[in-house]
Amino acid sequence: MIEDGFAVRLHGVTKSFGKHTAVSELDLDIPRGTICGLLGPNGSGKTTTIRMIMGILLPDEGSVSLFGGDPELTRRTKVGYLPEERGVYRKMKCVEFVTFLAEIRGIPRAEGRRRALNWLERLGLPEWAEKRVEDLSKGMQQKVQFIGTVVHEPELLILDEPFSGLDPINQDVLEGIVRDFRAKGTTILFSTHLMDQAERLCERVCLISKSRKMIDADMRELKAAERGGVVVVEFEGSDAWIAGPEVAGVDRVNGGLNLTLADGADHQAILRRGVSAGATILRFDLVEPRLHDIFVRHAGADASGDGGTPVAGSRGGADAWGAS
Amino acid sequence: MMLRNVWAVIRREYIQRVRTKSFVFGTIAVPLIMVLLIAVPIVIAGRSQDDERHIVVVDRTGVLQGRLGPELEELGWTVEPEPWTPDVEVRLRLRADDGEILGFLMLDDETLEEGVATFQTTVRPTPVRSLTMRSAITRAAMDYRLTESGSAASMLSGGELRIELLSDAPGADPDEEGPQFAVAYMGAMILYMVILIYSVAVMRATLEEKTSRIVEVIVSSMKPWHLLLGKVIGVGAVSLTQLSIWILAASLALAAGVPTLMSARPDLTALVDVQAALPSVGMLALFACFFILGFFMYSGIYAAVGAMCNTDEEANQAQFPVVMLLVGPILMVMPIIQDPSATWAIALSLFPLFSPILMWARVAAGGVPAWQIGLSFVLMALAIVAIAWVAGRIYRVGILMTGKRPTLPELWRWVRAA
Repeated sequence: MIEDGFAVRLHGVTKSFGKHTAVSELDLDIPRGTICGLLGPNGSGKTTTIRMIMGILLPDEGSVSLFGGDPELTRRTKVGYLPEERGVYRKMKCVEFVTFLAEIRGIPRAEGRRRALNWLERLGLPEWAEKRVEDLSKGMQQKVQFIGTVVHEPELLILDEPFSGLDPINQDVLEGIVRDFRAKGTTILFSTHLMDQAERLCERVCLISKSRKMIDADMRELKAAERGGVVVVEFEGSDAWIAGPEVAGVDRVNGGLNLTLADGADHQAILRRGVSAGATILRFDLVEPRLHDIFVRHAGADASGDGGTPVAGSRGGADAWGAS
Repeated sequence: MMLRNVWAVIRREYIQRVRTKSFVFGTIAVPLIMVLLIAVPIVIAGRSQDDERHIVVVDRTGVLQGRLGPELEELGWTVEPEPWTPDVEVRLRLRADDGEILGFLMLDDETLEEGVATFQTTVRPTPVRSLTMRSAITRAAMDYRLTESGSAASMLSGGELRIELLSDAPGADPDEEGPQFAVAYMGAMILYMVILIYSVAVMRATLEEKTSRIVEVIVSSMKPWHLLLGKVIGVGAVSLTQLSIWILAASLALAAGVPTLMSARPDLTALVDVQAALPSVGMLALFACFFILGFFMYSGIYAAVGAMCNTDEEANQAQFPVVMLLVGPILMVMPIIQDPSATWAIALSLFPLFSPILMWARVAAGGVPAWQIGLSFVLMALAIVAIAWVAGRIYRVGILMTGKRPTLPELWRWVRAA
């Protein structure tokens, strides 16, 4: 079975720890050469999913394939993995540590060392190359570990919370490197709960909440689907005309209102009502939804127990969630 | 590909360890401690008054007793002078048979001229005691010749203490019982020590990789089994390096030190015996084999223990039964040296996990047929394969597993599932 188009495919993957279901019937397809964000609240099953992709955990049910085949064949040389819990050999010198990681993936030592020094240079750590890893700050250690993840130029990068714990400047540096890899055709899957980062970086997003997939879509399609959800209104006069069947929620934000529309509602109807009510409407703006809002809407609604709204081909939905 | 993996792990493990202060310190300090361990008992044994060491000195020369008596007393002998009569030997033998005295020392003109004396005793003196006694006699003779006759001391060679055992005294076995015993016992202790130290090192390394989670990155790049293999070989190489340095240092010290010491102190010619009693190259090779086979067995077990634990405390508890497997043989070394050919000794020394220590002790004590040594090697090799199979599976599952330590049934599931 050759499915060349996908770097990662999960099919019906389920993983339980005792009574707790960490991941439930997850399908996930990541086309080659895309940056995919794995989003979700804490404890939603992101790390468990990644660990199953990496073969650290075996799924109870379902299958994992990488590059259209058995993960065992490709994982060891074609994948770079940055775990959430940062592990390093504390006593090793930085350059030796990176060289070692390159070597176990089949890169000759001299070449590995050359690349290690290049990368340390690129990430602003050249003077630390011969220092022990334990002498570095946490952020610097994280950068060294990141280098160890990419030193063998993998075709698939799997990064678990790569940006957490880094200052904004280094976040940007890492983001740049991720984009560079993307430009070279590398597939990148990363988990995060930094929505701004995901919004800037991702072409696809997969939102997991309470062990189930809520959203799995192309970012543009997702935004299109979610568009029309929010209208920003600024006006003078009475607000009596606002309330109506189309409006599901109202938030007051600096000087105006954010109206959350009911499903399938026609926002023009609100505008017409306002005009006929004689309000002076300064702004009536159907905004592109921020990923943050989409995240909160789906994960938040889910968390409050009334089920989320499956979007764009996601499975599952408003069933009873596994105990957490 | 696989080779490069394993080689990288071996290399990393070796270089990182050899660089540490503890390795450098251990390499230097252990020989020093060994020297102390050997020297202190000798000094103490030379002085101890714990047993009855009442002897009679018969001095036909009439000039040695005054010099020798105090020296022997100093060494822990109780000395009773006795004038020479033609029947003195007969009388003293009777007293020795009655257990009244331990034995008697006969000094005559030959002692003055050659340093040769005869010590008739019911109990064979330990090598240290006969050595110190001989030295004392030689010194007394030289002292007399220097002060009284003024003749050159060089005329006196190292001297000789003829030891004649009265009746059928115990320990009448071959001559070198003492040094052989030392080789057997010391060797067993060293084997126990190095196997334990380096197997525990494998366990600690495994545990550290597991708790720091670096292992997740490593095993996403190589098979856990290769990681384990590289680690065991790497640590094993470190241990062999250390052992080689120790042996080399000891050989150099003896090769250079003993002749120097002998030329400086002619009275210590008995050191030649010490040199002769040292293990031969063949014995050293055998020792190395027992160590390597023992290390592979125990490091596998220890790696599995490290992989199934999450903290140092847990690991310390979990390794207890394994340590017992090493301590047990150590407790059996003494009885086994005394009776190396007993059926129980043969059986226990063939049990692979005991073989490194017990078979070594038996071989060093002497009289073990070659086929038994060969059989123990075969059994240990089989044990290594079995341990690698089981421990490798536990390791594979354990290093990625967090949470509480597995119970025995769970462990068995790991072995079957992997």
